[in-house]
Amino acid sequence: MAINWFLLVLGISAAIMLLFRDWRVTMPALLVNYLALALFLAEQQFITPDLNLFGFMVSTLVVVKLLTGIAVTLILALTALTFSREYGLESLDEFGLSELRRAARAAQRQQTTQPFRWGDYVLPFWAGVLALLASLSLPRIYPIAPSEASDFAWYWLGLTGILTIATASDLLKIGLGLLLCASAIDLVYTAVVSTPGGSGLNVMPLGLLSVFNILLALAIAYLSGLLYGRLKTLELGELYRR
Amino acid sequence: MLYLLLIFFPVTMAASTFILRRNSGLVLAAALGTVLTQMLLAVQIPLDDPVRFLGITLILTALNQVFLFVFLAIGAFAFVAAWNLPHGANFVPVALLTLGQVCTILLLQDPFITTLLLALSGLTVVLAIVDLPVGVSALVGTRAIAAALKYLVLMVVAMMLMYIAFVLTDIFRPGEFLDRVSPARFILALLTVSFALRLAIVPFHTWLTDLVDYAEPLVAAFIITLLNTTSLVVLILVFQNFPVLLFESVEILWLMRLGALISVVATGLLVIAPATLRRTVAYLVLYNCGMVFYGLVALSPVGLAGAIFGALNQTLAVMLLFVSLALLERPDGRAPGVVRRDLLRRWPVAGAGLLVSCLALLGLPPLNGALSHMLIYQAAAAHGWIELLALVLGTCLAGLGLARMATERLLGPSEDMEVAEPLLLGETELDRPAVRKLAPEPRSTAILTIMLLLLCLGIGIYPQPILATIDQAIQNLAFIRVL
Repeated sequence: MAINWFLLVLGISAAIMLLFRDWRVTMPALLVNYLALALFLAEQQFITPDLNLFGFMVSTLVVVKLLTGIAVTLILALTALTFSREYGLESLDEFGLSELRRAARAAQRQQTTQPFRWGDYVLPFWAGVLALLASLSLPRIYPIAPSEASDFAWYWLGLTGILTIATASDLLKIGLGLLLCASAIDLVYTAVVSTPGGSGLNVMPLGLLSVFNILLALAIAYLSGLLYGRLKTLELGELYRR
Repeated sequence: MLYLLLIFFPVTMAASTFILRRNSGLVLAAALGTVLTQMLLAVQIPLDDPVRFLGITLILTALNQVFLFVFLAIGAFAFVAAWNLPHGANFVPVALLTLGQVCTILLLQDPFITTLLLALSGLTVVLAIVDLPVGVSALVGTRAIAAALKYLVLMVVAMMLMYIAFVLTDIFRPGEFLDRVSPARFILALLTVSFALRLAIVPFHTWLTDLVDYAEPLVAAFIITLLNTTSLVVLILVFQNFPVLLFESVEILWLMRLGALISVVATGLLVIAPATLRRTVAYLVLYNCGMVFYGLVALSPVGLAGAIFGALNQTLAVMLLFVSLALLERPDGRAPGVVRRDLLRRWPVAGAGLLVSCLALLGLPPLNGALSHMLIYQAAAAHGWIELLALVLGTCLAGLGLARMATERLLGPSEDMEVAEPLLLGETELDRPAVRKLAPEPRSTAILTIMLLLLCLGIGIYPQPILATIDQAIQNLAFIRVL
C-alpha cells in the first residue's frame, strides 16, 4: 500500500499540537499542518488546477489556503514573541500597577514551582490514541468525503482539534484546537462539495473560510495578549482562580 | 447597488468610527446617522426580488425585512443609550460591523455563507466583551476575559457543527439510506445542538449568564438581541431550505420540544434561586429564549407565529432590560458597596423599565410578550396538556423569581430618609452640612427608557399589524404548510 506522505505529515503535525504545550513547538507544527493540508488538497485534485507555479499545476484556491495558513501562523507567532512587551502602562493607576506586579510575582512563582512533568502529557497522549482509533474507524462506518484518505484527514483534524480544546491548559492551545477544527471543516467542505453529486465549489464560502481563519487567529492573539498582559501567564487555571 | 450599500456602508463607517473612537460624541452621532441611513436604504429595497452578485443570491423577504428594521431600531436605541451609559472604546465600531454582518445574513439564502457570517459576527463581538472605555485607568477583568473566551469557543463549535450539517445536506439524498437510520436525523441533531448553543438553550446556556455577569450591559444587550435573534431567523431559513430534514424525522421531533421544555422549567427554577440582580436577569432572558425555541420547534403555524413574535418582543424587552440595568448600576451618589433595596424609588424610570421588561419577558398582559406567550401556549396545548403544563410551570417559577428579585432589590423602602435631629446646644442651621441632593437619571436615557417602555405597552395593546405581517410571512413558508 502506498503511503500518502502529505496525510502522514498532516496527522503528525496535528498530533504534535495536541501533545505539546510550548508554543515554540506548536507554532511550527501549525505551519507544517497548513502546508501539508494545502499539498494534500492539491494532490487529491478536488479543485481543478489553474495556476502554473514553478512548473507545477496547482489551483489558486489551494494557494489561497496556504497563504491563509502562513498568515494565521504569523499572527500567532508574532503575538507569542511579543508577550514580554508591556502596553498601556502609562494609563494605569497605582492600584492597577500593583495588581500587575502581584500577577508577575505569582506567575514567576508558579513557573519555578512547576517543573516539567510527564504527567501533563498522559491525558493528551491517550486522547490522541482515542482520536486515532476513531479516525481510522469512522471513515468505514460513516464515510462522507469521496476518498478514505480525505475522510481520515478531516475526522483526524476535527477530533484532534476538539481534544486539544478539551485538554488545553492555556489559551493559545485552545486557539490551536479551534484552528484545527476550522481546518477540518474547510477540508470536508472542499472534498464533499466538489464531488460530482455535490452542489459545486463556490468561491465565496472558501474566501470567507479564509477570512474566518484569520479573524479567529486575531481574536485568539488579542485575548492571549490581554490575558498575558493582565496575569503574566496564559494558564487557564489562573484565569478562573481570581 | 442598494444591497451592496446596505452591506458595506456600516462596515466602512465601522472603520471610520474605529479611527475616531476617542471622540465619543462624534462617533455616536455618526453611528446614529449610519443606522438611519440604513433604514432609508432598507425601505427602498423591493421585497422578494432576487439579485445575483458574485454567484450569490441576495433577496429580502417580508419576514427578514421586519427583522431588519427591528435590528436597525435596536442599534439606534443602543447608540442613543450609549451617550450616558458606560461602554467600551470599540463599542460603536463593533456594533456597526455587527449590524453590517447581520444585514448581510438577512439578505442571504446560502447556508454556508450564512453560517460563516454568523461565526464572524461572534468573533467580532468578542472584542466588545473585553473592551474598556477610552482613557480608563483600570485593568480589564479576568472574568470578562474568561466570558469572552467561553463565548468564542462555543460559537466556533456551533459554527463547526452547523457547517458539517450543511455539508451533509449537500450529499444527502432522501430515501437513499433505506437500510440504515436516515442521515436526516443526524443532520437535524447537529443543527439542533449548534442552534441551541447560539440561542443559549439549557444546557448550552452558560455563555449567556457569564456574558450578562461580566460584560457591559449594552454589549450583552446587543449580542442577545441581534445575534441570538438572527440565529433564530437562520434556523427558520434552514427549515425552509431543507424541509426534508423535518419530514424524515417526524417521529423524533418531540425530542426537540422536550429540550425546549426542560430549558423553560430549568431556567424557571434558576430564577427562583437567590442570585445577583444581573444573574437573575440573565435567567429571565434564558427562560424567554426557551419559550421562543419551543414555539419554533412546535412546528405549527401558531407556534411559529408565537416564536417569531416572541423573538421580536424579546429584542425590545431585552434592550429595555439592559438599558434599565445599566442605569440602575450607575453610581448613585450614596455610599458604594452597599446592596440597595430601594432601586425603584431611587431611579423610578430605570426601576420601572426593569420591572416592565421582566414582565414582558414573562408574557404578562398587557405587555408585548403576552400575545406571543399565548400563541406558544396554544401550540403546546395542541401537543398535549403535559407540554402546556410544563410551560405554565416554567412561567410561574420565573414569575416567583421575579417577585423575589423585585422585593429584594426594587420595592424596598427608601434608604435616604433623613431623621430631623434637634439642634445641639450652640449649633445653628448654618453649622449643619448641606442637605445631600442625589442626581436624577440622565434625561436622554430616561426618555429612551420611557419610549421603549411605551413601545412594549403599545405592541402589547395593539399587536395586530405586526401579527398580520408575521402571518403573511408564515404563509410563504412551505415547510410549515406541509407539516
